Amino acid sequence: MTTTPQLNRAQGVGPNALTRRDGRVPNSARRRDTLHGWGFAAPFVIAFLLFLVWPIIYGFYLSLTGQSITGANSEVIGFANYAEAFADGDVWRSLGNTLWFTLLSTVPLVLVALILALLVNLGLPGQWLWRLAFFAPFLLASTVVSLFWIWMYNPQLGLINSVLGGSTAWLTDSNTAMISVVITTVWWTVGFNFLLYLAALQNIPEQQYEAASLDGAGKWRQLFSITIPQLAPTTIVIVILQVLASLKVFDQIYIMTGGGPGGATRPIVQYIYETGFTAYRLGYASAVAYVFFAIIVIASMVQVLVTSRRGAK
Amino acid sequence: MKHTNPAFEKSTAGLSRRTILTGGAALLGGVLLPSTLSGCSAIAAGGVEQLKFWHLLSGGDGIKMNALVQQANEEFPDEFHATQTVLTWGTPYYTKLAMASVGGRAPEVAIMHATRVAGYAPGGLLDEWDLDILAEEGVTEETFLPRVWDKGVIDGSLYSIALDTHPFIMMFNTEHAEAAGLLDADGRLPVMTSPDQFREVALAMQAVTGVHGLSYGFLNDGAQMWRLFYTLYAQHGAEMTLEVGKEVEFDMDAAVESLEFIQSLLDGTIAAQTGDYGTAVSEFVSGNSGLFFTGVWELPTMVNGNLPVDAQVIPTLYGTPATYADSHSFVLPHQNNPDEAKRRDVYRFVANILKNSISWAEAGHIPAYQPIVDSPAYSRLVPQIHYAEAAQQVVFDPEAWFSGSGSDFQAYFAENVQNVFLGREDPRSGMEGFIRRLNILLNRPNPLESA
Amino acid sequence: MTATEVLDRTEASTDRRVPSARQGRDRRKPLRPSSIIALVILAVLAALWLMPFAWAIVTSLKSEADAGATPVTWIPAGGFTLDAYTSVLSEGNIPQWAFNSVFTSAVITAIAVAISALAAYAFSRIDFAGKRVLFYVTIASIIVPPQMLIVPLFYQMLAFDMVDTYAGIILPQLIHPAIVFILKQFFDQVPIELEEAARVDGASRMRVFLQIVLPLSRPILAAVSIFIFVGAWNNFLWPFIVTNDASLMTLPVGLQTVQSAFGVQYAQDMASAVLAALPLIIVFLFFQRQIIKGFATTGFGGQ
Repeated sequence: MTTTPQLNRAQGVGPNALTRRDGRVPNSARRRDTLHGWGFAAPFVIAFLLFLVWPIIYGFYLSLTGQSITGANSEVIGFANYAEAFADGDVWRSLGNTLWFTLLSTVPLVLVALILALLVNLGLPGQWLWRLAFFAPFLLASTVVSLFWIWMYNPQLGLINSVLGGSTAWLTDSNTAMISVVITTVWWTVGFNFLLYLAALQNIPEQQYEAASLDGAGKWRQLFSITIPQLAPTTIVIVILQVLASLKVFDQIYIMTGGGPGGATRPIVQYIYETGFTAYRLGYASAVAYVFFAIIVIASMVQVLVTSRRGAK
Repeated sequence: MKHTNPAFEKSTAGLSRRTILTGGAALLGGVLLPSTLSGCSAIAAGGVEQLKFWHLLSGGDGIKMNALVQQANEEFPDEFHATQTVLTWGTPYYTKLAMASVGGRAPEVAIMHATRVAGYAPGGLLDEWDLDILAEEGVTEETFLPRVWDKGVIDGSLYSIALDTHPFIMMFNTEHAEAAGLLDADGRLPVMTSPDQFREVALAMQAVTGVHGLSYGFLNDGAQMWRLFYTLYAQHGAEMTLEVGKEVEFDMDAAVESLEFIQSLLDGTIAAQTGDYGTAVSEFVSGNSGLFFTGVWELPTMVNGNLPVDAQVIPTLYGTPATYADSHSFVLPHQNNPDEAKRRDVYRFVANILKNSISWAEAGHIPAYQPIVDSPAYSRLVPQIHYAEAAQQVVFDPEAWFSGSGSDFQAYFAENVQNVFLGREDPRSGMEGFIRRLNILLNRPNPLESA
Repeated sequence: MTATEVLDRTEASTDRRVPSARQGRDRRKPLRPSSIIALVILAVLAALWLMPFAWAIVTSLKSEADAGATPVTWIPAGGFTLDAYTSVLSEGNIPQWAFNSVFTSAVITAIAVAISALAAYAFSRIDFAGKRVLFYVTIASIIVPPQMLIVPLFYQMLAFDMVDTYAGIILPQLIHPAIVFILKQFFDQVPIELEEAARVDGASRMRVFLQIVLPLSRPILAAVSIFIFVGAWNNFLWPFIVTNDASLMTLPVGLQTVQSAFGVQYAQDMASAVLAALPLIIVFLFFQRQIIKGFATTGFGGQ
């Protein structure tokens, strides 16, 4: 075989009975390729256009109207919704709650995952038990997690108060509501980051540790001078994935605290839901959703920048 | 041809596992499917209509409603079978009901608070009741009190039929009242016509219990705060009007006076300075107070706790008899293509419940169907008969698309006025904050009606 | 890292038999004191992590009276009972919701994997007009958070009259641009000689795809299937928005939305939650490695 197939594979050009020896393909074959290509991609493209692209476009159009869920008020009102959103205290509060949640949860979700992975990576007996214990919660639905923890946090009958004493109303006291949800979230999703760290730890060559041992470096020294620096790329990926996921939080907060007390834990996605479906204002909710989208896009851009700069190094 | 990439060596293991996974899912579905189908087949025979009935009643109310539904099903075994879906009280329920109505596949019949109907009917989320068919079932305007019937009429059409009125009243511990020397020959508390007289009675109760004279829970609870406030406010003869495009019309002096009175009660002696709904219930049930501001729905709790209790309307302290109340009402959620047979059965279902609502009275509510109220059975219900007059003097929430039980309106009240209750803010400024919030909403177009 | 590399590395970390590059110790030597401390710490942490499960299960095995009794104990005064489970299974909607979850998740998985694989193959093997643009648009759409689409999607379901239908639940969940990307990466690594030979022999592209490429892709297809199935099963927000009728709700939505008419019943609530957790936990116990591989692989494609 010539080297052309390698090139073709990289360019995604498939083998073709009509491919000439110089790698070029006649026009009739090109047309047939186009037909085939779109044919294969068609089901996906149709679904993609219908249920992703169209809603994005129509959502923007909705945000320019005062559309109500009952069908009333569908005239275009320009950017009035956006102006209202920037002046809306509840929008800022919800964004603030979301950022606070992101900050509070990202740090433990990285640190705890790292500690768990380091411990499990020691190779001690019981590997299946550790993996089960730390990763299994990740497979649960948000409702199940929330129900388990609402029960744990029950002021009179919950496990937490029976162990710690007192009758703190964890989920209804504005001082403790957010941290309670954060603890639940850490329990629930740390397993994923734990896995990523575990895989990355496997990747560190044994020779580095052996060489360090020969040089007289103890286990802790090895941890800080070899392990952790080598985990930096993974850590960055995890932090970014975590931040992006936290910005989109909804389920567990809505189910456990309803956004309360008095909106103290309400994330921005819940505000979008309430504005559109409880208060009937689909148009305004779309505008807030686009503000939220803009924030996600910016955060994703940061992700792309950071990872590509690291890749270029 | 041999391929050497080790990743592909695992292919057989992956396939068998995937087969097992899919097979397991199918098995699970197969096990569960018969149990879901069997319920349907037993009933689908013989043209029995399946009626979906949504409500938001749970606890003691839920049990009573469940019994009423079963009774209706038993009295019409060949016509319909109603199944209930209960959703969380308040915003979650109303949001889902609106979305179901908009989606066109709503339940056949639902319960709503009468004060919320104004936020649904104009937007086309509800269908109107047919007065003629109702009359065939024995339900007419004459069988309800005017105030209660009119609450269900919007723009000349009837959208909700009341099952009850459930007012905010005052319960009292008869033993403590006796010990304080407050009871008259009929076992009633003295007539109180001024704030000072009320404070006297409360302090007398406090002397007996040694803890508090009055229990009233309000922390983080906009509904509770609003109920007491609005009762006192309306007793001034004052009204509140909410109209889209205009500012709120209300009586600031009456509002301030009402709030100042409430503040004077929450002094730590007459009543605890702070506390939520549940704490207040516990305090009264355990005998640590003599008076209790609460809704009639808590009556079963008292009866179950074997508490010696009686009840009356909150005394008229400012001249005009008024009691805050709401009313559980039957509505027809909008359907794009209503099944006429099912609709007809809904009328039978609702009428049957109304006629059997004496058991609903046992849960503390005042039945809206007058033949029940006038019946001898009801007059034997104590203490219900002692506060039945509340139905004559009910005041419902000011009407707006965003007001009513469990609504944003009550949430805004809590946000602005809780600090007044807690003594941390001046009544006038708290009230102004609340009114400001309402004016912002009124300044926007009504989402239910095209401008 | 490409998908295959992650696949291999996670395999290494989860496969006890493969000698892995870890700070290991020789298993035949007795444990060092520091290892014992680490073991104790791990055991405590694992116990903490399993606690919520244990507490929920124990509660579900109590009678309602014991579940609501103080002081709080692990062993109920009245002994253990299955009453909560029998009540929940016979009186409630759980079987219906479980069926809805199984049905919608299975359909979503089957269709999503199929259409993603087809598209990924086109991206990988076929040069067609507009491919570059389509590919970049697909990748870019990974950024779009589904949460921002709930309003226009609901509006769309209203227009299609699909609110409160299975189609309404399923259709928006068929799109997984990240999966398309991952599958395309995988297909790129498949040796092209096999396909070339078949095409020279006159096989159509579809035949090559179905009979050569797909069978070679079983590991990745299993991995993405698991990922999509679990995601669909656990999805709360969209099914919550599009279903109001209790008989159509999936398990997570039904559990949260529908209340018991009888008020709060702790044992039954926990029984419902445990039942909802059970299918995936059992699957995990049997297919631990497969699932972990699936998540580690597809996780890099975005959440």
